[in-house]
Amino acid sequence: MLNDLRQTARQLLADKKVDVVIGYGQADPAGPAYPVFITRPEDTEQLVFNDRCYNNLTTFLTRKEIRAMGRAAVLVKGCDAKSVVVLAVESQIDRQSVVVIGMACNGVGQPSLAKCRTCDVHMPRHTDMVIGQAADHAIEAKDRYAELAEMMSKSASERLAYWGQELSRCVKCYACRQVCPMCYCERCVADKNQPQVIKTSATTMGNLAWQINRAFHLASRCVGCDECTRACPAGINLRLLNLMLAQATEEQFDYRPGMDKDAQPVLGCFSVKDKECFIK
Amino acid sequence: MSEVISARALRELIGGWLKAGIRVAGPRRVATDQVAYAWLDRPEDCLLGGYIHPHNSIKEFFFPRHESLYEYRIEGKKIALKNPEPLADERIVIGARPCDAAAMPILDHVFNWDFKDPFYNRRREQTTVVTLACREHDHECFCTSVGLGPDAERGSDVMLYELDGDMYEVRCVTDKGGNLMAGRTETSQLTGSVPPGPAKKFDLAYLRETIGSKFESPVWTEATLRCMACGACAYTCPTCHCFDIVDEGNARGGIRAKNWDACQFPMFTLHASGHNPRNTQPQRQRQRVMHKFSIYPDKFGDVLCTGCGNCTRHCSVHLGVQTVLEAAEKSWRNATV
Ligand code: SF4
Ligand code: SF4
Ligand code: SF4
Ligand code: SF4
Repeated sequence: MLNDLRQTARQLLADKKVDVVIGYGQADPAGPAYPVFITRPEDTEQLVFNDRCYNNLTTFLTRKEIRAMGRAAVLVKGCDAKSVVVLAVESQIDRQSVVVIGMACNGVGQPSLAKCRTCDVHMPRHTDMVIGQAADHAIEAKDRYAELAEMMSKSASERLAYWGQELSRCVKCYACRQVCPMCYCERCVADKNQPQVIKTSATTMGNLAWQINRAFHLASRCVGCDECTRACPAGINLRLLNLMLAQATEEQFDYRPGMDKDAQPVLGCFSVKDKECFIK
Repeated sequence: MSEVISARALRELIGGWLKAGIRVAGPRRVATDQVAYAWLDRPEDCLLGGYIHPHNSIKEFFFPRHESLYEYRIEGKKIALKNPEPLADERIVIGARPCDAAAMPILDHVFNWDFKDPFYNRRREQTTVVTLACREHDHECFCTSVGLGPDAERGSDVMLYELDGDMYEVRCVTDKGGNLMAGRTETSQLTGSVPPGPAKKFDLAYLRETIGSKFESPVWTEATLRCMACGACAYTCPTCHCFDIVDEGNARGGIRAKNWDACQFPMFTLHASGHNPRNTQPQRQRQRVMHKFSIYPDKFGDVLCTGCGNCTRHCSVHLGVQTVLEAAEKSWRNATV
């Protein structure tokens, strides 16, 4: 698998099909892997792929520093592949000019991250190629949302108390936003300061406002890569918010962001089948 | 001869402080796998082991992420200002790591240089820092590379060393610490020591000498292109101290607030004209590292880093002072041979 990956990357660079391969490198096998940007065929030996390859590299596809490097090939796991689909649907990338290298994935983390335990995209979809083999099986929706169901079994006041407690630790570092492939806005609403729309103060109220805003902006767009959750230095379980958005989108609109490249995006289309029960 | 205290007596002491109305902060489990320095409600909340480094730093008890500088009220043509009540309560930070405590004298320089920050200084006066020497370290710790170590006393008022049998050796470093612990310890023959700290990760003297002339080095881009531009490094760092001053309120009144800010945000240096002097992420990372290892030391003599490792530990792309300086040293040494 690793040989295939390095060979593929080398060929893409040697044939000048791409200028940069966005992949994973790892200095210390005991430490995490991290993003690397390979521009010379001889450097493809630096590429690795293993269960420490956490990052969703598609975030870099919209970064100006990386765009300036030219045409890109990007490595994706199954979950990351979904964000390529959404980026293309939202016209943030020209899908034809990006080479998407899917990596069959059996999960990241030791033990596996929560998202991997209910993953139904071990084999990445809608990529230009897939390297390696992994077994895929459908996971029932109720299993995908099990953690959320547990949360929702609590009363509204208990849930509010939980979020108040958790978000009291938020320092507004915006790591959750910065790692997110879907947070590509050049100027986030949180950074709009004439007037300041969302307070910059990292108080519990300010933090609730920030996360509610983030949830609104990611509804029907979040692909559930859970990088926000992993990146949060305060260990706030943002995954619960992601699951909430995903469940609402699936139940109300029969739509899972990034799963079907031809499906109309919920926020970008109107369908007579759209439920309007929320209008009271 | 040494002074010791049992773990039980130490907890009773914490309980006594809390009862006396002293605010006590220490390492506390805040979620299943999260330990943070936080205010303690009960003595049993305080963890004295079982973690490497809390996810934050003790700076927030001196330089909080948000504080009100004053309130303002607008009535007709009149504007009334109200200063906050000066901090009255006594405070103790217990279980600080040596790399956190060492950050305090470093921050003192900044908050007492051209302007003496009354908010910061008041908290410094009111707070006693009790440090727990480290018995363990992880891949990210590098205190020994910046002249500190698992038993460094800098910035601490009291040092605690774990002994066998649930005991701690107590070494009072300052008078403040001596007053806090007076009459609370027993005399003993036991003395505490710590295992060696992390191996050195870079040569500080070499880097200090070289870095000033390396502003245009390609290593900045090579080592930092992956930076995600968040504030996780600065906000978990014990020595990062940038802040922004903002007004929060409406037409009737509000507060002028001092909030943390971070040099990795593109907005940090964005001018009103739209021009940004630090226009790319590697330029912003260069600023972070240069500030710590060139600009600040040139001004104040110390490096602006205690090797706590939080920046790399909490970075989603495994990037921090340590990874950048390792890459820099390697690249610069190779270039000169
Ligand atoms: S969610 Fe699936 S594709 Fe993504 S890292 Fe986990 S196992 Fe791999
Ligand atoms: S909100 Fe979180 S889980 Fe959703 S796409 Fe962004 S980083 Fe991934
Ligand atoms: S990553 Fe965590 S601490 Fe940082 S802004 Fe997001 S929720 Fe807050
Ligand atoms: S720069 Fe990094 S290692 Fe140094 S004190 Fe700050 S967080 Fe710790």
